[in-house]
Amino acid sequence: MSAEMANEIKLISGRSHPELSDKIAKRLGIEVARTISLNYSNQETSFTVGESVRDEDVFVIQSTATGDVNEGLMELLIIISACRTASARRITAVIPNFPYARQDKKDKSRAPISARLVANMLQTAGANHIVTVDLHASQIQGFFSVPVDNLYAEPSFLRYIRENFTSDECVIVSPDAGGAKRATSIADHLNTAFALIHKERPRPNVVGRMVLVGNVDDKIAILVDDMADTCGTLAKAAAVLKENGAKSVLALVTHGILSGGAIETLNNSVLTALVVTNTVPLGDKLERCPKIKVIDISPTIAEAIRRTHNGESVSYLFTHAPV
Amino acid sequence: MRGTLIFAGSSCPTLTGKICENLGMAPADAELTQFSNGETSVRILTSVREKDVFVVQSGSPKINDTIMELLIMISACKGGSANKITAVLPYFPYSRQSKKKSHRGAITARMLANLLGVAGVKHVITVDLHASQMQGFFKCPVDNLHAEPLIARWIRHNVPNWKEAVVVSKNAGGTKRVTSLADALKLNFGMVTTDKKRGTNMTASMIMNHLDGIERHPLLDSISNQVRTNSSGPENGIPSADSGHSRPSRPVVDAQGSPRRANGPPLRTSNNARSPLTRAQTTLSQSSAIDELDEAELDGPEYNDRRAHEVTHGRLVQGHIVPDDFPSPATSAADASITEEDPMTMSHASSFFAPTHALGGTGADAPSSDEEEEILKNPKVEHMITLVGDVKNRTVFIVDDMIDKPGSWIAAAETVVKRGFAKKVYCIATHAVFGADCLEQMQACDCIDAIVVTNSYPIREDKARNASKLVVLDLSFLLAEAIRRNHYGESMSPLFLHMGD
Repeated sequence: MSAEMANEIKLISGRSHPELSDKIAKRLGIEVARTISLNYSNQETSFTVGESVRDEDVFVIQSTATGDVNEGLMELLIIISACRTASARRITAVIPNFPYARQDKKDKSRAPISARLVANMLQTAGANHIVTVDLHASQIQGFFSVPVDNLYAEPSFLRYIRENFTSDECVIVSPDAGGAKRATSIADHLNTAFALIHKERPRPNVVGRMVLVGNVDDKIAILVDDMADTCGTLAKAAAVLKENGAKSVLALVTHGILSGGAIETLNNSVLTALVVTNTVPLGDKLERCPKIKVIDISPTIAEAIRRTHNGESVSYLFTHAPV
Repeated sequence: MRGTLIFAGSSCPTLTGKICENLGMAPADAELTQFSNGETSVRILTSVREKDVFVVQSGSPKINDTIMELLIMISACKGGSANKITAVLPYFPYSRQSKKKSHRGAITARMLANLLGVAGVKHVITVDLHASQMQGFFKCPVDNLHAEPLIARWIRHNVPNWKEAVVVSKNAGGTKRVTSLADALKLNFGMVTTDKKRGTNMTASMIMNHLDGIERHPLLDSISNQVRTNSSGPENGIPSADSGHSRPSRPVVDAQGSPRRANGPPLRTSNNARSPLTRAQTTLSQSSAIDELDEAELDGPEYNDRRAHEVTHGRLVQGHIVPDDFPSPATSAADASITEEDPMTMSHASSFFAPTHALGGTGADAPSSDEEEEILKNPKVEHMITLVGDVKNRTVFIVDDMIDKPGSWIAAAETVVKRGFAKKVYCIATHAVFGADCLEQMQACDCIDAIVVTNSYPIREDKARNASKLVVLDLSFLLAEAIRRNHYGESMSPLFLHMGD
C-alpha cells in the first residue's frame, strides 16, 4: 500500500484559532501538522511547514480573529502559498468566518468589492477549494472560480433549540429583512411561529428605528442571524421584542465577532443568552459575558474535510449535524 | 497634472504630500478607516473614471493592514473604472522573503506581486528592491528606482574628506550594493563578515578573498568557511597560504574596475574538509542550510588567487566586540550536538561540488538580517567577525539596503572602529525600518557617527527627534519625477544616473 501512502489529509492551522483546529484534528483522529509561524520585527509574517506536504491533501484552517483580520488573512495566504510551493496536491482553505464578507457589493460609487478581492487573492495564492460556514451572502461563492463549500450552522442550531425548548413555546425572529430566509427556514423545520423586525440603518454599525412584524406575546423569542458584531442590532431587537410581550429573548448567531463594545452591550441588554458557534475565536469574552454560550461547529467542519478528502457528498451536512 | 490622481495610503501621508507638492497638485480624497471588527474600509471620494491613478503606500508597523488597505484601494479604483492604476511602493513589503529559504517556506514577495496584479495594478514604482530579481515576479512593468544617486550626492556635499573614505558592506550578501556605491563615488571598499565560532578552532590559516571575476561577485563566504574548518591558533593572523604568494594585493575592488587576475587554479587546500560528512559534524544547524545554499551560488567557477591583504579579526560576544583575552562564553556544546537530520541538506552540500553554477551568485542570497540577528544575539555563541580591507584613519560608510535590527550594524561599526581604527562611521541605508528600539540603540552606540536613511519608510517623529545622528534624505522628488515621467510616457533612465555636481 506504500503507493497510496501519499495524499493523506494534512491539517495546517493558522495562528488565529488553534483551539478549533485541535478539535477538528481530534475529530479526524490525526495530528495538526508541525509548522513554524512567526512575525519578524517589522511585523511581516513568516511561515514554514515543518513536514513534507508533497502530494498531500492539505487543509489550512484559519479563522479571522476579531481586530486581527488582516493579520489572519495574510498569514492564510502565506500558508497557502508555502504549501503550493512545497508541491501539495490540493490545498483547501477552511475559513469558518470568511473575512470581508460584508463588503460584497458596490453599494456606493467607487466602493470596493473587498470580498471578491479576497476571493481572488485566495486563488492567486494557490487555494484549490474553499470550505466556509454561513457565508454572509451565498453570492460570494460566485466570486470564486474554484469550488466553495458553504456549510450551515443551521442543523446545529436546530438541535440546540430542540434540546432546550418545545416548538410551541418559542418563536423564531429575524432581526432584519435580509435574514428572513434564514429564520423562516429554521421556523419551518421546527414548525414554530415566525416574526421579523424591520430596521432602518442610517450608517454601518449604527441602528435606527425598529418595527416588529408578527406576534411574540408570551413566547420565548429566538433571534437568528449570521453574525453578531457590535451587537447593537441584537440588543435593540431584544428590547423591541420585550416591549412586545416576549417572555424571554435569546439569540442564535453563527459568527460571534463581538467587536467594539459588544460585551458591554450584551451585558446591559435584555437578552438572556447569546448562542454562537466557535467559528471565531472568542478569547476571554466568555468570562466577561456569562450570557454567551458556544455550540461546537468542529464536527461539521471535520466531517466536511473527511468527505471532501474521500470524494463523498457534502450535502448531507446541509441538513444534519454530526454528533 | 491633468487626468492624474494620487492617493495616499495611511502609512505615508507626509511623503505623498511632498510628492504632490513637487507635482503642484493635491492628493486625491479617500477615506481610510477600519470597521470595528478590524476589517479595512476604503471610500474613494472623488471620481476616478478614465483617470491615471497612483496609489502611494509604504510600510508600517502594522504591515499586513497596510497591504490590505493598498489592495482594497487598488481594487476600488479598478471598480471605479480608472484607466490605469500604478502602485507606488517606496518600501516594498515582504521583499526579504523573495526566495525559498527553508524547505517549504513561502516566497511571499512573489505572492504579494501576484496579489497586486489580481487587485488591478498595471504598473509598479518602487525604490531599491531588496533583490532586483523581484521585478520578474510581476506580470506588469516595474520601475525599481535607486536612492543611490541621492545618497552619493549627499555624501559628496556633506562628508568632509569623502574622497578618502571606504565603503564597507556589513555582510557578504550585501556586497554588490556596496560596490555599486563605491564605484559611483570612486572609493575603495571593504567588508565585514560574521561567523559563528565553536570551541577552539579560532582562526583562519588560509583566507582567500575572491573578489571579482567577470561579474564581480565577491565570494567572501569562503573566508568564514575556511575559518570554520581550520583549527590553528588565532595568533597566525595573516593567512598562511598567502605566504606562498607574497604578493600583497588590495582587498578592495577599486572603482575603475582595473583588470585583475581571473585565472589560476583554485587554491582550496581544505576542500576535503568540506565534504558533506564533515560539514554535518561541524556545522551548527541553525543557519547551515542557508549558508550552504549561498556558497553553492556564490562559488563560481572563476576562482582567482588574489588574497586579502588586510584581514582583521575580532571576537564578538552578544553583539559586541570584546578584547582578545575576554573569557570565552559557554561554548555551544549543546548547539553543536545538533547535527543535520534532514537528508535534503546533503544535496545542497553536494551542489557545492557542481562544476559551474549557471546563474552565478547575487547579493540577495545572504541569510536575511533577521536570521543573522538571531545568531548574533545568542549569548552562548561567540562569533568571529572579520574585517576585510584597510579602514585605518579613514571615514567608513557602512551600507545596506535597510536598517531593521541594530545588532549587525553596531557589530560592524565596532569592528571598523575598534579593530580597523576607522575615524568616523556613517551607517547608510535606503529603508529605515527601525524595528523595536533599533534607532535608540544605534544612537547610543559610540562607534556610529551618523545614520543616513531616506524617507521611503515612515520614521516615527518622536523617535527621529531624539536621534541626533539621524539624517533623513527626501525621496519625494525622485518619486514625483518618476510619476510625472510615467504619466507623460517619458524615459526613466535619467533617474538612475548620478548627478555630476
